[in-house]
Amino acid sequence: MAVVEAAPTLVSGTGEERSRSWLRALELIVPGAVLLLVVGACFVGPLVLPVPSPVGGNILESNLPAFSAGHLLGTDPNGNDVLARILHGGQSSLTIAIAVNLLGLLAGGTLGALSGYAGGVLDSVIMRVLDVLIAFPSLVLTLAVAQSLGPSQTNTILALAFFSVPAFARISRAATLRLREQPFMVAARLCGTRGWRVLLRHLAPNIMPQLITFGMLGMGIIIVIEGALSFLGLGIPPPAPSWGNMIAQGQASLSATPILVVWPCVALFITVLAFNLLGETLRARWSGR
Amino acid sequence: MTTTAPPDPRESRVLSRVLGSPSVRLIGKRVLMAVPIILGVSILTFWVLSLIPGNAAQQVLGPDATAAQVRALEQELGLDQPAVTRYLDWLGGAVQGDLGNSLISGQPVSGELGSRLAVTGELVGLAFVISIGLAVPVALLAAYKPNRLVDRISMVVSITGLSVANYVLALLLVLVFAVQMTVFPAIGFVPLSEGVGANLHSLALPAAAIAFPLFCFYTRFLRGDLVDQMQGEDYIVTARAKGIGPWRVLLRHAFRNSSFGLITVVGLNLGTLIGSTVIIEQIFALPGIGQLLLQAINTRDFIVVQACVVVFAIIAVLANLVADLLYAVLDPRIRYGSR
Repeated sequence: MAVVEAAPTLVSGTGEERSRSWLRALELIVPGAVLLLVVGACFVGPLVLPVPSPVGGNILESNLPAFSAGHLLGTDPNGNDVLARILHGGQSSLTIAIAVNLLGLLAGGTLGALSGYAGGVLDSVIMRVLDVLIAFPSLVLTLAVAQSLGPSQTNTILALAFFSVPAFARISRAATLRLREQPFMVAARLCGTRGWRVLLRHLAPNIMPQLITFGMLGMGIIIVIEGALSFLGLGIPPPAPSWGNMIAQGQASLSATPILVVWPCVALFITVLAFNLLGETLRARWSGR
Repeated sequence: MTTTAPPDPRESRVLSRVLGSPSVRLIGKRVLMAVPIILGVSILTFWVLSLIPGNAAQQVLGPDATAAQVRALEQELGLDQPAVTRYLDWLGGAVQGDLGNSLISGQPVSGELGSRLAVTGELVGLAFVISIGLAVPVALLAAYKPNRLVDRISMVVSITGLSVANYVLALLLVLVFAVQMTVFPAIGFVPLSEGVGANLHSLALPAAAIAFPLFCFYTRFLRGDLVDQMQGEDYIVTARAKGIGPWRVLLRHAFRNSSFGLITVVGLNLGTLIGSTVIIEQIFALPGIGQLLLQAINTRDFIVVQACVVVFAIIAVLANLVADLLYAVLDPRIRYGSR
């Protein structure tokens, strides 16, 4: 990978080359900075800025326009501060997306690595089971699961994580198959290293970049699906804020106060776009293109 | 062919050639492989739905029901049987087209599913036609001169479009075209029997909301594949060396190869796409299968939920199967198993 990273500097440093390496750096810096900003605003913002509580607003202050005193983005029909709801909603969206990805990465990554490393019957069994899961329109079953478990943040995480496992497992298995016969892996085995140690110390660090890149691409998707669940009333239960249930709430008064839908939509779009751009850049670098 | 002459040797030769042909063998194998996947999907659905905490009969009857009433309904629905027995009973009915009766309306589910599948099918079909119909020419234009203006614009549009959730786009479309401009209806569905124009008019916004992200995805994928083909493949060099014009190389040579990849991606996508109709049908109040599923989830009608989920899953599996088969039939390398 180091070779790939260094490649552009090997070419003689003409002006065009230099500007291109700048562009390449920007591809990482811009979405990274946006994400830092979003994460910082959502998690640190409510602590340090004078933002009102996202729930329990005064009904007398409902539907205030933007830039009202004390309410930068105005208030919703229940008198809650829109900015506060966006920030707290972002907290739960990001928490869910990170938790789902971590669970999926750990469970899927382990399953895939085991499957690819062991081969044989274990491999066939695991892969057939995953085929079934992959065939599933996951949003559909997630809806059913979310409803049956009852809407809550933990249940949303569990339902979404369950369906992120097969994709991680596939990536992990493919990477493992590629690495299995590499000299360093064979050497580790010949040294008499125990199987779990080979997996953990030799294989895992090498398949991790691919899994993390995939996870980055998945962040946007999970945030969108979480929004869909909340939109349908099966995710974060109101009055607790989430981008999805804010959009659903705003839909009711779409013709009168469309701005209430616009804010959470913009937040959702910017976050997902930043994750997608970062994921794409990482993927392009790892695949050496 | 064989030493003992059958009654009509010509017929038997045709038959054996058909059965022995790589395409037919491959199709047979793939179809057989889809069966356990569909079975697995139905078992998984059954299992997940049976994990529901609390008693299904109690939930249907409400909190005021007496213990005797609950037990009577449980017996009627067979809920007192072990899960394996219930699954086998359900499966026995399902293969004969009987998916049980709705707990709320008492009507057979399969009848309801049929009419709703038509609506969802039309919506998805329309979205597919729009997205592919636009993605192919745009990707070709972009790949004709990579990194030029058209390419750059199409890339920016597609990565942006991929980051817009379809429900966000749907609301945006409603806001602009139904609330501000009142060109299209915000909600409602006009069946095909009341005229094609009115029907398409009512489906325009929902189909666009589904089609746009798909269009972005396909454009991105096809453009990437075309550029790869044009830059790296020997057959492209050969075609150019023969003096074939650049458009012809792109269309007849590179696109032909790239279309295989597109077919696979389209097949894989259909499963997710069907899932996304749930939310779009909800926003536009379309009487499709997604709306039925959501209603059933909210009324805890688990028989209908089960039927809907299994139907969704079967469609996804079949779409993959068809994509797989098309791929195999079109690409001789797969057909003859050399790759």
